[in-house]
Parts: sequence; C-alpha cells; structure tokens
Amino acid sequence: MLNKKTEKKPQATNQFNQAVAGNSLTRDAWRRLKKNKMAVISIFIVVIYILLAIAAPILPIYPYDEIVLDHQNLPPSFTQNAGTLLLEKRLADLYTQAWRSGSLEVSEAEEEMLWTWIDANETNKVWDYMLEKGEQMSADGSFTFSATDQRRIERLEEKLMSELKVSIKSLWYTDPISNEREKLSSLTTEQLIDLYLDLSGTDIDTLKDQYTREIEQQLLRGIKDQNPELPDAEYQQMLEREIERLSESRFDSLIKSNILTKITNQIVNDANSHLGQMATDESVLFPVKEEISLNDTISAEVEASRINERIYYLGTDYQGRDMLSRIIYGGQVSIAIGFVGTITSVLIGIILGALAGYLGGKVDYIIMRIVDIMYGLPYMLLVIIAMAIFGRNILNLFFALAIISWLTVSRMVRGQIMSLKNQEFIEAARSMGASTWRIIFKHLVPNSLSVIIVFSTLRIPAFIMTESFLSFLGLGVSAPFASWGSLVGDGVGSMALYPWKLFFPALAMTIFLFAMNFLGDGLRDAFDPQSKNQL
Amino acid sequence: MTKYVIKRLLGIIPTLLIIITVSFFIVRLAPGGPFDGERNLPETIKRNIEAKYHFDEPLLMQYGRYMFDILRGDLGPSYRYKDHDVNFYIFESLPNSMILGVIAISISVLFGISSGILAAVKQNTWADYLGMAFAIVGISVPLFVIGPVLQYVFAVKLQWVPTSGWYTVDGNWITIILPAITLSAANFGTIARLTRSSMLETLRSDYIRTAKAKGMKSSTILFKHALKGTLLPIVSYLGPAFAGVVTGSVVVESVFRIPGLGKFFVQSSFNRDYTLIVGVVIVYSVILIFMNFIVDILYSLLDPRITYK
Repeated sequence: MLNKKTEKKPQATNQFNQAVAGNSLTRDAWRRLKKNKMAVISIFIVVIYILLAIAAPILPIYPYDEIVLDHQNLPPSFTQNAGTLLLEKRLADLYTQAWRSGSLEVSEAEEEMLWTWIDANETNKVWDYMLEKGEQMSADGSFTFSATDQRRIERLEEKLMSELKVSIKSLWYTDPISNEREKLSSLTTEQLIDLYLDLSGTDIDTLKDQYTREIEQQLLRGIKDQNPELPDAEYQQMLEREIERLSESRFDSLIKSNILTKITNQIVNDANSHLGQMATDESVLFPVKEEISLNDTISAEVEASRINERIYYLGTDYQGRDMLSRIIYGGQVSIAIGFVGTITSVLIGIILGALAGYLGGKVDYIIMRIVDIMYGLPYMLLVIIAMAIFGRNILNLFFALAIISWLTVSRMVRGQIMSLKNQEFIEAARSMGASTWRIIFKHLVPNSLSVIIVFSTLRIPAFIMTESFLSFLGLGVSAPFASWGSLVGDGVGSMALYPWKLFFPALAMTIFLFAMNFLGDGLRDAFDPQSKNQL
Repeated sequence: MTKYVIKRLLGIIPTLLIIITVSFFIVRLAPGGPFDGERNLPETIKRNIEAKYHFDEPLLMQYGRYMFDILRGDLGPSYRYKDHDVNFYIFESLPNSMILGVIAISISVLFGISSGILAAVKQNTWADYLGMAFAIVGISVPLFVIGPVLQYVFAVKLQWVPTSGWYTVDGNWITIILPAITLSAANFGTIARLTRSSMLETLRSDYIRTAKAKGMKSSTILFKHALKGTLLPIVSYLGPAFAGVVTGSVVVESVFRIPGLGKFFVQSSFNRDYTLIVGVVIVYSVILIFMNFIVDILYSLLDPRITYK
C-alpha cells in the first residue's frame, strides 16, 4: 500500500516486445477529428473569433459606442479616410445640383440615364455618376463651380482639417496646500461642487437647478431606451416613480458624474480652441498628447487626434459609429451569451437529469413531467413576453434563455445515467459506501461527459441564433450595446441605400455559425463514428 | 388505439392550463398596470375603468373569470385598441400566418425529402454535395439573415419581386415567394439531412436486398419499399418543424411586413397590450399542441411496429 506510488507501472508489450499503449476514447476521437478538414478549419475560425472578442478592448479600433454625427452612414473603404469621403459626398451633391440647375451640361443619352435612375429611386447611382463626370469635367476645365460653391467647398475642407477629437486620459486635482495630486473622481461630491462653483462662477442655487434638471433628463432617456413607443404621460409617471425609488447614495453619485461631465466638457472646449489653431496651420503632427490645466487645482491629460483622418474599413452606422468595432464588440456579446448560456443550461440539465436518472422513482417522475410540459410550451413566445415585460437587458435575456434550454440536456443525461447506473463500477462504489452525490458527480457524470460535450457544441450556435433572433426583433440587447442580431436588425431597414450595414454583421455571424456547426458535427462523428451522417 | 388517442387528448388539458396560467400571471407580475399611460385621470374615472376590466377584484377571482371566458372562446378586450376585442384581431391575422406557414412547411417537406432521397441514391456525387451544401446553409444561417439577403438580391437589386406586400393587401400572389422560402430554409435543411441518412440506412437493410435479389425494378424498390421506412424519422421531426415555423414567422412577418399573427405579436409586446399577447400565445399553443398530437397519431399509423397501450 505504502510503496504504491513509487512503484512504476510495467510497460505493456506485445509478443514482439513492442510497447503497446492504451488508446483512450478521447485520443481516438481527437485522431478522427484531425482527419476531418472542415472541423479543423472550423476550430481555427472559432479560436480566431474568440481571441478577437477577448482582445477587443486592446485592439486598435475606434470605440464601439462613440457617436460621431458627421460620420453617419459612411461607406466602407480601405484607402480613403472619413474626411475624403465627406468631401466627395459634398462634391457629388454640388455636381448634381449644378446639373439640375443647368450649369453643368451633360449629353442627351446621359440625361436620359440619370432620369431613369431617379425614377427608380436610385439616387446613389446618380451621385456616383455625377461625381465622376464632374471631376472629369473640372479636370479638363469644361466646368467650374460658382464662387459661392467654391467658398463652400473651401470652408468644408478647412473644417475637415481642423476638426479634432479630444479625449481625456486622466483628470487630476492638486491640493493647493499640500501640493498632492489625486484623481478628480476620488473627491467627494461636496468638494467637486465647490470646485465647480469656483471654476464657473455660478452660485449654488443655479447649479442645483441645473443638475437636477439634467439628471431628470438623463433618467428619462434611460427609461425611453428601455421602453420605446409609449405616450409621454406614461414616461412622466415612470420618471416620478424612478426618482422616488432612487437611494441617497445613487443620487449622490449621479450628481458627481454630472459635475465631472461639466468639468470634462470645459476641458474639451479649452483643448479644442487651443489645439484647433494648431490643426489648421499644421504646426504639429497629430495625434498629440497634452497636459491642460484649467486653474491651479484642476488639470488633465488629453489626447487629440484629427477625427476626419479616421478610416472606417467596414463603414459606419446611422450614428457614425464604426461598424468594424461594433461587429467585434457585438461578437463579444453574442459569443459570450452563447458560451455562458450553454454552460449554464448544460449545468442545470446535468444536475436535474442525473438526479432523475439515478434516483428514479418519484423524483424522476416529477422532473420528467416538468420537462414534458415545458416541451409543449411555445417557449420562444414566452421569452418574448418576458423580455417585453421585464425590460430589455443582457442579464434578463440570459436568464430567460438559460431557464428554457436545459430540457434536452436533462433528458439526454438521464438516459445516459440510467444505462450506466447498473454497471459493476457503480455497484463497487456503492458497496464501498460512496454517497449518492459522489457517485453521481464522480462516477456517472464524467462517464457521460463526451456525449454532453458534443451536444453542448451543437447548442452554442443555437443559443447564439436565439439571442440574435430576439435582438433582431429589438427585444434583446439594446443600444449602445450591440450584438450580431441587433446589428443585422439595424441594417435591414436601410439596406437599399447602405447595404454594408446589413452584410458585414450578417457575414461575421454566418461564418461563425457555420464554423460552430461544422465543429459540432465533426465532434459528434469523432466521438461516435456510428452516428455519421445522422442529425 | 382509441384509448391512446383519448389519453393523448386528455394529456393536452394540463399543458394548456399551465400555458394559460403562466401567461396570466407573468402579465399580472409586470410592473405598472396597463392604464398607467392614461393622463392623470380623476379618481372616479380611474375606478370606473378598473371596474370595467375587473381590476378591482381579487387576483384569484380575475383568474377564474379569465379561465371561464377562455372556455367560452372569448380572449377578452384589447387594452390598446378600443374598437375591437382580441378575438377580432386574431381572426383577422391568423389566416395570413396559416397560409404562409402551410406553404413554407410544404416547400420544406417536398424539397427536403426529394433532395434527401437524391443525395442518398447518388451518394458522393455532385448532386449529393450540392443538396447537402444547401441543407447546411439552411441550418446554419439564421432566417433573419436569409430573409433580408433574399430581399436585397431579388427585390432591391434584380427587382423580380416587390420588396414587401401581401396578397390580401395588394392582390399580388408573387409576394408570397420570398417569405415562404425564407421560412422553409431551416426545416428544409434538417429534413434533407434526415432523409438522406435515413434513406442510406434503409437501402442497406435486408429487405431491400431481398427485393433487389428478386429482380424488382429499382424505382419500385425505392418508392414502394424504401420510402415508407425512410419517412418515419421525418414524420417525428414534423412536431419541432411546426414550432420552428411558428417562431420563425414572427421574424419573417416583420421583415416582409406581412399582416399576420407574428407581426401582431411583436407589435403588441412593444405596446404592452397584455391581453393581446396572452391571446396570441394561447392560439399559437393550441395550434402547436394539436399539430404534435396529429404527428403522433400519424406516426403510429405509419409504423406498424409501434403499438400504444
């Protein structure tokens, strides 16, 4: 007994004295999986997606929730930056206007073509054509803009050059007496209010009025986001209830963030006017980092970059947000819900299924009747009701999905366990006095794990589809967050004019779902070769 | 057999009861009553409205009243639309959904079975690969991607069909094609794969070999002997297929703007029209449960090996 660990297991050999190694089911399955080309490719794709989703915060992409209203619905481009695209848009517009007013002349055939486009409601084709034509005519000198248009273009160019995006990296407060620096956000609300009064020169009552109003508006916006399309009176009532329910500390933190926003805005304004000059005379190379101090006590590190130098590889959405980063962050939400939701539902299913299968009798009867009845429910519809009533957020969505999706797992686990529970090794464990809990989770569940894993892999795409389905309807993830489903949903409405808003999220999602399905099929074939070609 | 049918019919009752009860209480749990949105009403008017909809009674009494109404086939008044009750709206939109659903199921069964059989008979040829490629597209790509993409390609770009519309609205039957294809895609994929694997298995079985040995025509073997055995797993899949069509129709009707029950359902869950939501869910559940029932009976008729006690 004592030297059991030190004694080495003798190497198994065959009659030719060659080493014989055992081959476990997992290793065998892995060998088969490696032969399946589609499954291997799918593993790579899934890994890349997961890495991208995890690394999203450190990737060099623009913030997914940053709204740049000037950059609405920009088309995808690898070479042209936002400024060029905006200028082109304006030029196309001006050329078209010039054509309509008669100062830019085109041939009869072209005229006819343009009008058929306009009749078919394809104005984007008209703009593209007029831009090309106009540029060509300006180049060979047969068309020049009127003086006012010329001035407009110049002004736009100037604006595009000088517009800056100022982001604040950190905010500091320097104590005038001890000269110690600390983060502005670590001050108390009273201190912040005092600081702001000092800075702005307003009196306390005006400020109080101001922030109460602003906080109310902020709360109202939140309510409207959660419950769209209600009459105004209802919003007002909900707001009053919300304010009544607000705790002291929550209100305090709302005031604090409000004051902080005010200070930040002032710094951004300061930096804009100060750096904007540099941007127009091109005396510095952007992006720049600067330290700006408002007065003796408040200072900030800011970073400024030319906003119109941005390149949107996959275009922008209706609020000027970068599609690429929205797709990556949307993938983060979708994949996370897919994985975490599957794990949760599989865990619930394992526990209930194992209990039903091992204990049998009344427990089995009750659990299986619950499963039977829940199978009969149109659960997607119940989820939709629950989301509509209890509010749309990721947590609710996640719970609603996890609660309904354990049914199949529990049935499967129950079947597995019932076939295993009368085998000798379980009897041996029982005769040695192992507890029910131990037998189930140490002996029975690990032995049916391969089936569970295969099934879970096939559940993940189904889970992602369900989540996206709800988000597509507007009942799942809500703005500013995104998921693939909500992105596709946003893109559907305007697909005739801005097809990229539909296609890129749809493509990203489809590739991932394909990969997951191939991987699941491959795993199933690998673990259970007999099941090949079955569903 | 008769005993089994009766037993199954009785089994439907608790499921329906639970659906109605769950929906009723979920709706009552919701924060804020349905009339919070009205302007600050005088106390008496508010009381009158509440009395009209029986909100002043104890919860159990309301529940009993609701159950009794449903037994009489009355789903109650709509909280948002004052002109008609829930029954009116459901019976107005249900036929549209039914037509769409029946066409979609027929497409997926017809094309699914035929391409499955073709793939099995011509195993490992281009027909097999093509059919199975379509099947995996149908399974993997969600219908809210298929729908808009089809719409973009065939309606916006090629302009073969209008982007949206419905025959009861504009009398144009062609508008039914895209939604029906979209709705049938997922079921088509599953049925095609099921048929293929089931057919492959059947073709290897002994009785087919016997038939071949007796020198029968291969088409007779295929359609007279093999097909019946192949169809069994497909019939048992029809239950989930109906459920898929019901939930899928919610999206398809929203994308293609079809005035059906699914679109109504989404709208009323945004509007918080609680009675309408519960009404739609009950109607859907009844349809689903009866479809499952019919599928079970069909299954036992097709397979003489199964006997029910």
